[in-house]
Amino acid sequence: MELERRRVLRMGGAIAAGAGLTGLTACSGTGGTGATGQGGSAGEQDKGRISVWSWQGPAAEMKALVPEFNKKYPGIEVTVEDIGNPAIWDKITTGLAAGGQGLADVLHIGVDYLPGYVEKFPGGLADLGPLGAGAHRNAFAPGMWQTVSPDGKRVNALPWEANSAGFYYRADLFEKAGVDAGALQTWEETIEAGKAIKAKTGAHLLGIDKPASQADAANFFQMLLQLQGAFYFSLSGDITLDSPEAVKALTLIKTMNDAGLVSDLAGGWNTLMSSLKQGTAAVLPMPTWFGGIIQEQVPEEAGKWKVRLPPAVRRGGSTAATVNSTHLAVAGSSKHQAAAWSFVEFVLTRPASQVQIYKGKGIAPALMAAYDDAVFHEPSPFFSGQKKGEVFLEALKAPSSAFNYTADYARALKLVTDAQSKVLLGGADPAKVLKEAADQLARQTGRKVSR
Amino acid sequence: MTATLTGSAARAVPSAGTAPRPRPRRRVAPYLFVLPALALFAVFKLYPIGRSFVISLHKTVGGTDRFVGADNYERLLHDPLFWTALKNTAVILVVQVPVMLALATGLAVALNSTLLRGRAVFRLGFFLPMVTGLVAYGIVFSVLLNKDYGLVNWLTGLAGLDPVPWLTDPLWAKISLGLALTWHYTGYNAVILLARLQSVPAELYDAAAVDGAGAWTSFRHVTLPGLRPALLLTTVLSTIGTLQIFDEPYVLTGGGPDNATLTIGVYLYQNAFKYFDFGYASAIAYALAVLIGILGVIQFRFLGERS
Repeated sequence: MELERRRVLRMGGAIAAGAGLTGLTACSGTGGTGATGQGGSAGEQDKGRISVWSWQGPAAEMKALVPEFNKKYPGIEVTVEDIGNPAIWDKITTGLAAGGQGLADVLHIGVDYLPGYVEKFPGGLADLGPLGAGAHRNAFAPGMWQTVSPDGKRVNALPWEANSAGFYYRADLFEKAGVDAGALQTWEETIEAGKAIKAKTGAHLLGIDKPASQADAANFFQMLLQLQGAFYFSLSGDITLDSPEAVKALTLIKTMNDAGLVSDLAGGWNTLMSSLKQGTAAVLPMPTWFGGIIQEQVPEEAGKWKVRLPPAVRRGGSTAATVNSTHLAVAGSSKHQAAAWSFVEFVLTRPASQVQIYKGKGIAPALMAAYDDAVFHEPSPFFSGQKKGEVFLEALKAPSSAFNYTADYARALKLVTDAQSKVLLGGADPAKVLKEAADQLARQTGRKVSR
Repeated sequence: MTATLTGSAARAVPSAGTAPRPRPRRRVAPYLFVLPALALFAVFKLYPIGRSFVISLHKTVGGTDRFVGADNYERLLHDPLFWTALKNTAVILVVQVPVMLALATGLAVALNSTLLRGRAVFRLGFFLPMVTGLVAYGIVFSVLLNKDYGLVNWLTGLAGLDPVPWLTDPLWAKISLGLALTWHYTGYNAVILLARLQSVPAELYDAAAVDGAGAWTSFRHVTLPGLRPALLLTTVLSTIGTLQIFDEPYVLTGGGPDNATLTIGVYLYQNAFKYFDFGYASAIAYALAVLIGILGVIQFRFLGERS
């Protein structure tokens, strides 16, 4: 009965949102590059053949959901393709640039790419508002709706993962060094702890891809920034690459590196995995989803690991930040937008789907209702009996700053990783390299530097 | 009968006189045969080349293309990263290409030598890297050259040497890139040179020997002049290849550390597919094409003249 009522309510919401937003879209008059019809007009909601592009783990988990989806929608044939990450970004970019030619109907997109796609290829992604997305506005973690619907009207995607900053650590190494990891309040204290660990056990505090051999080499820097509520751009889109927060973050990293506490993870993912297996670092400052990876890679170290939220950058500062997220969007060129939306809605707004995905790959849902499930509140034998799910749920519920990735995030990231490499490999001054990076970004993008 | 004969003969004469009549058909046939190739060339080469030029004069603002004239080209001149990419590419061109061609010449001469047994095996061995997938070999090299977990440093470590930061130090990264390129392309160039070497008449060597020339003298005065056209070809091909180089730095170092191995190809790719700045990327492509053209002409002038 309850389910029925919810469905009726949702349909009502969808119709209302659809009626309101179709009008708006018609007025906005943006030149669409690949949109073939807006809203519910493109295809029927329960019929059609749709394809889905994602990568590794999430693709496998979506594939596993298809039989259940077909019980509800027998008329929709779903093909989930594992394009691989990062290959998927080039493939989506090429498709969007070609006016939507060859794109899948459902696209899995990271927060780092979403604003760029939306800004550079208007109409490339379907507006999910008229399809009924508005009904789920309050279903997701704080800040998520602003990410997928910056103007509060057009809905570019629905949130999937919301990854909070985490602090995975080898409890045994901390114990050997006589440091209480749970009591660390700031990163400065953590650096001191790192010195003790290095002296007693020989392990580094943490690792960074120093020469930035992969695009994600600045993850830790970005996390330190986001813990302070800061980012590369202000909410209005001005450049804040050399803000006091950014200088503070990079200075912390330099201090760690100068003290010999940072191992080099040059080579990206493979090196990170080797380092994990060899126990090179005591701390992995990684977001939620990484817990599943640790468990998968070093199952024999069960009971040696623990997890907590990262220490604050300044005493009393925040320890919670949503550092990244991924989303499902529907291609503007899709001939079966309504059917594609049915799949997106099935995967992302049903707690049962998200719980299953969490169980399979440890992927953290942005859907708050999913956390009612017992699986998020069970003690984890691998993480020394801690309730890992609750640790991250606490972060997710905390007031979280919204971050403006803008369409120029990729350029900013490149300049940041170069600046970080200059500091880590050449001992450059953080304030100086960040100022240069900010000026360079301003020249490249025409944005203002906020100082 | 006679009348018929004459009649047919009479008719035969003018028909012989209008012999060009079937000619139009003969003229059409060759065009028909080259048409598919021409059409494919036009669609997949000519059109993109032209379209790319048009794009290079535009900038995407809010999803619509705006004509900006030569703005993208002007921006190129003031872009420090473009100049870094150009410098890096030039360094590879000036250092790696001559070393590789010298090696290839040495290899070609060795492989041509009748003193060598099992020449076919060696030829195959040196050519094999060429058929290896670019990405596959890039990944193999990045694993081999990893500072902490790579085989190369493990081996040099056995010899008591400190680990070399192959891919993480700006200078070593350039050297690593050069090593990978040399490994990949030397055999290919050696095969071209070898083919040419086999057309140098043996009598010239005999004559040189009779005149009392040693191995070095006959190499300098017989082999090298004989190789000139092939050397020109390999130099021009290597120059074009080096200027367009993309796969190796992309897979090995991603253009880093701190842009030490950023090449024009990688920078073009970043602008198009990472920053969605297709106009600027097209301008880079045209700058590259002009550079290749200029260098090609210079090389033909200097190397080709006396051949």
